[in-house]
Amino acid sequence: MTTVHEKQDVALMAHLLRRAGFGATPAEMDRALEIGYDAMLDEMLNPDHPDEIPDDLIRRHHVDQSDLRSAGGPHWVYRLVMTDTPLREKMCLFWHRIFATASTKLIQNKVVTNQINMFRDHGMGSFDDLLLELARDPAMIMWLDNQDNHGSNINENFGREILELFAMGVGNYSEEDIKETARAFTGWSVVNPDYMSIKMRNNTARPWGYMSWQFEFDADDHDDGEKTILGQTGNWNGEDAVRIICEQPATAAFLARHLYHFFVADELPVPQWPHEPPRDPEAIDLLCKAYFEDGHSIKAMLKAMFESDFFKADSARFARIKSPAEMVIGTMRLAGPVEIPSQETYMADAACANMGQGLFRPPSVEGWQGGTEWINTGSYVVRVNFASQILNDPNKDGVRDIIERIKASVGSGSMSSDDLVDACLDILGPLDVLDTTRSGLKNYAAKYGELSWGSDDASAQFDDAAVAIIQLIVTTQEYQTA
Amino acid sequence: MTTTAFGLRYSTNVGFEADFGGRGFQLPTSIAIRSDGVIYLLSRGKASTAQVVGIQKVTRDHDFLGQFGASGRGLGQMVGATSITLDDDENAYIADESLHRITKFDYDGNPLSMWGEKGSAEGQFDQPSGLLVQGDTILVVDSGNDRVQRYSLDGEFITQWGSLGTGDGEFNHPWGLGQDSSGNVYIADWRNDRIQKFTSEGQHLATFGENGSSEGQLNRPADVAVDPEGNIYVADWGNQRLQVFDSEWNFLDTQRGEAGLNPWAVEYLASQDDERKARESYVPVYEPDTDDPHEISARMEPYLWDPAAVELDEDGRVYVVETGRHRFQIFERI
Repeated sequence: MTTVHEKQDVALMAHLLRRAGFGATPAEMDRALEIGYDAMLDEMLNPDHPDEIPDDLIRRHHVDQSDLRSAGGPHWVYRLVMTDTPLREKMCLFWHRIFATASTKLIQNKVVTNQINMFRDHGMGSFDDLLLELARDPAMIMWLDNQDNHGSNINENFGREILELFAMGVGNYSEEDIKETARAFTGWSVVNPDYMSIKMRNNTARPWGYMSWQFEFDADDHDDGEKTILGQTGNWNGEDAVRIICEQPATAAFLARHLYHFFVADELPVPQWPHEPPRDPEAIDLLCKAYFEDGHSIKAMLKAMFESDFFKADSARFARIKSPAEMVIGTMRLAGPVEIPSQETYMADAACANMGQGLFRPPSVEGWQGGTEWINTGSYVVRVNFASQILNDPNKDGVRDIIERIKASVGSGSMSSDDLVDACLDILGPLDVLDTTRSGLKNYAAKYGELSWGSDDASAQFDDAAVAIIQLIVTTQEYQTA
Repeated sequence: MTTTAFGLRYSTNVGFEADFGGRGFQLPTSIAIRSDGVIYLLSRGKASTAQVVGIQKVTRDHDFLGQFGASGRGLGQMVGATSITLDDDENAYIADESLHRITKFDYDGNPLSMWGEKGSAEGQFDQPSGLLVQGDTILVVDSGNDRVQRYSLDGEFITQWGSLGTGDGEFNHPWGLGQDSSGNVYIADWRNDRIQKFTSEGQHLATFGENGSSEGQLNRPADVAVDPEGNIYVADWGNQRLQVFDSEWNFLDTQRGEAGLNPWAVEYLASQDDERKARESYVPVYEPDTDDPHEISARMEPYLWDPAAVELDEDGRVYVVETGRHRFQIFERI
């Protein structure tokens, strides 16, 4: 029996799946509506399997994704497109944006891939655990030069960024806190720091490629004297610094504002946060409450957010510009599964970079700001071209499914071009486009007239019309928003 | 009957990471050895290292003798090279899994012919990988079609066997193959984590191995070679090691790799003072904090990393090609 769902339920579910995931195929939407919003959210928050990818096939047929000297982007794109745990993967993107670590300095993608894998394991757990794993992460250590942070001569980079960019934000700590935090992380390094640093600095894969790095605590290089961090004094190590940082109300507020910015509505650029209040202070308070009530749990904050009225509000829908990765991955998931080997993952990686979000290549330690910065004339053209190219084949599994569902949605064997436009908008979102946009699409589609699929020729023409309209829809402003 | 204890020891390695041509390799996948000892190493490479795509000629004494073949789609060119083998006249045959074809070169490296296209019919391939010459025919492991095809050396289809499955004579994405002195064929049944033994006519004789990481177990075996005594050498790709068994699959030896600086690396470091000095305090093998063999190989430079092919020479030396480290390690019988 086919269940008819209320239009409002469909729109709300589509909103959740766009924000907590990468949008939904029609089949995914059907299933989500069947189990309902709360169950769907629970499933996304609590994936019960590790989302294994056929890594053996990938490494055999994409040999450059085995040593991962440079193909980390395409490697991740495959998982992003194929995952059935989209929120966990989206949280990897979230942390990649905040804990921005670039292969451009590290000169290899292997260690950044390992960092993303760590986000996958810890990205929805307790913030204490995540921050501690980050401090032990070899890519982060080398990215912020903590291998040069010695007991006898501190390097403040990591101490500064964990307070400023990763956990608290400017205005919530002192310069002395930075120095004391840096002292707590002295001796937090990697195995063979000298040779690994030289290879990185010289950008050399010789003699036999790069080596992946391993965390090492050098007790002899650690400053075990007394330190005062954020008002707490003791013989602190890095674990203590993380504990102290995670206890701070400012940490909860900083994390909450980032989550709001990423999942709900565009905030001001991060450098303005110390000077301007949050867009929705009550929302931030709600998320902070969840943080402290549930052991600094990121998952608890996500749950509170996705269950909130401010997230579900009509005004929140289509109010964010999709990041390049969201647009690219969502479009590829709509088109259908990626095969191995695939050149599309390389094309997608390049497209993200050309739109301003090169995976593994954030522009600086501050990551990407997002919002309106994602869109300019050049990047918009790349967006449109990419989406049109990916959705250009009526025989791709995802496109085929859309076409067949549209046919099945009408009792007869024909439909008008106007109805085809409405059906495509409905199934691609549903997208509630401006009247002028809808009429523009219908004017274009009018050249196809009355469409049918009773013969091979007619069916092929219907396919052509549907693909052309889908390609036009993905150029609309509404498709570029989430 | 007197039996001799089997043992292997590391001898040397040949290789160097090359991005733009010259002495070295790039993501090599296969090896063949001429009767005069010249070694052909097949560099699969990648888009950004197109100049290194092809076959490099070297010796085990670290002489670099040049390259033939190139990146591209024309005759003598390749995109996704997976395997190389030689016939009795020492013509070379290359399998290309991206172009779904076999290319034949003469002794001097001039391309002679090519055959194959994507498909599942006779004469067609889906990701061809392992190659093995038997007399005046050549076996091609047709990985994507889960079968083995036999051709004349000019590309005329003769016969085939195999299909997808886990039973005797069935395959799941097979990769490399070898033969014993009787002409029996051993196929690395990659995704079934086993080696299957057949007569040269394709009659199933035995199945060896199972999934796992213990002695005698396999994880995605990539290639197999057999010595005149019937000992079986397996490139245990997923476990990042070489394993050796006798003809009855009794475990004999395993090697994880222990490459040290070869003359090409020494010459390079002599010109890079800072890197050479930093290597003086460098510890190449240490206690890993992971049990993932692939990640361990990525960290420990001496270890085999993605051992994709194993080959024997007439003196019993064992050559293991490491895709991830752009080199091959040589082991000798003790």
